[in-house]
Amino acid sequence: MKLKVWGARGSVPAPGPEMNRYGGNTSCVELELSDGSTLIIDAGTGIRSLGVGIAKRLPKINILLTHLHLDHIQGLMFFAPCFQSQSEITIWGPSSPEASLEERISRYISAPLSPVEVRELPCEVNFRDAPPSEWELGPAKIRAEAVTHRGPTLGYRITDGPTTLSYISDHEPGLGAPLDSLEPEWISGYDLACGSDLLIHDCQYTDEEYPDHVGWGHSRLTDTLTFARRVEAERLLMFHHDPLHSDDFLDRFQETAQERWQELGGADGAVQMAAEAQELELAPAKVAVT
Amino acid sequence: MSQKAQKPLELILARNLLTSLSTPAFLVDDSGALIFYNEAAGALLGISFEESGRMPAEEWSHALGPFGDEGSPIPIEELPTTKALRQGRPAHGGFTVRSVRGEEYEIESTALPIVADGGQEGAMIFFWTRANDTPGRE
Repeated sequence: MKLKVWGARGSVPAPGPEMNRYGGNTSCVELELSDGSTLIIDAGTGIRSLGVGIAKRLPKINILLTHLHLDHIQGLMFFAPCFQSQSEITIWGPSSPEASLEERISRYISAPLSPVEVRELPCEVNFRDAPPSEWELGPAKIRAEAVTHRGPTLGYRITDGPTTLSYISDHEPGLGAPLDSLEPEWISGYDLACGSDLLIHDCQYTDEEYPDHVGWGHSRLTDTLTFARRVEAERLLMFHHDPLHSDDFLDRFQETAQERWQELGGADGAVQMAAEAQELELAPAKVAVT
Repeated sequence: MSQKAQKPLELILARNLLTSLSTPAFLVDDSGALIFYNEAAGALLGISFEESGRMPAEEWSHALGPFGDEGSPIPIEELPTTKALRQGRPAHGGFTVRSVRGEEYEIESTALPIVADGGQEGAMIFFWTRANDTPGRE
């Protein structure tokens, strides 16, 4: 399984020269599976650049959405395959008792927020609620479960052969919960992330920033590291960077995270900040940065 | 993977909420088993959840109550918890509960069902003592 980060920013795009190295685009990750097929996770603004490259070579596209906050769907309207008649796009996302996935996404892709409506898109697009039990897309076995965030939100566990990726981009498992001592069955996202080769996880706030954002649905550093240690993830890619965090800030944040990770008994080099254009090749118990 | 199946998110969030409250409260799963109670309930019962652990419905209702006027356990089907789980609606009742120290408290209790996409996940049960003698309260 190969992975490329197209957007690692959280909440809102954060362009600017001080953000160039980690990038300002919001959540989007591309996976290349063992059969060469592509799976896209989230459709933040990062998906725009991804779409330019794959528009002609990939007629069938699956997109897994964690939830429908704008930083996870904003790029959909600028995703080139949506405007090509030969494209077949399936969008998977969380169900809601309030309205269907299509109806909820259509609130964004419709007037007055958008010049086009979903029904006007030339591509064939299908909207599917993520099933409650494991399902398959090509060689990948996919499992989706609700996790602690604001509104219906999923995390994903994707297994391709012997390799497992867990993606929980927006997650506050430490909300009202002592993560270091709680039994696993009571930890949000535990089963999704348990023993994964790579865990991509929310780490929006420093410990010092977190008290002003409790309950917003995102993690502080201590909770991200504790969660990753509890689930025994082989590697951790910290994700959903706060839009106020510049490259220099994230460099220092990463150093702190690596020191704290080793204090918790984690392996050297196993913790990293996600960065736009970063590519990883996943293998069991080993993830090589290319 | 974890040895025990992970709890549904709705129960995890309910536990997080109850942990933060000073109102005594129980959390039961869809079978009626007691899967958590908070520190305020532990103060009332004289035993913490960490000490007592998970209990099937028959066990906790026999050990902790509620009891009727003659001191015998109230049949499970008459408890607000059971009504909340079986009928999917809030239910209220007044009873006696007994702490492990043998102290008895007149209480009122309200059970609120927890219903998610997949159906009934469990219920939260809140307690109020009729007298102002709740342990741990001023």
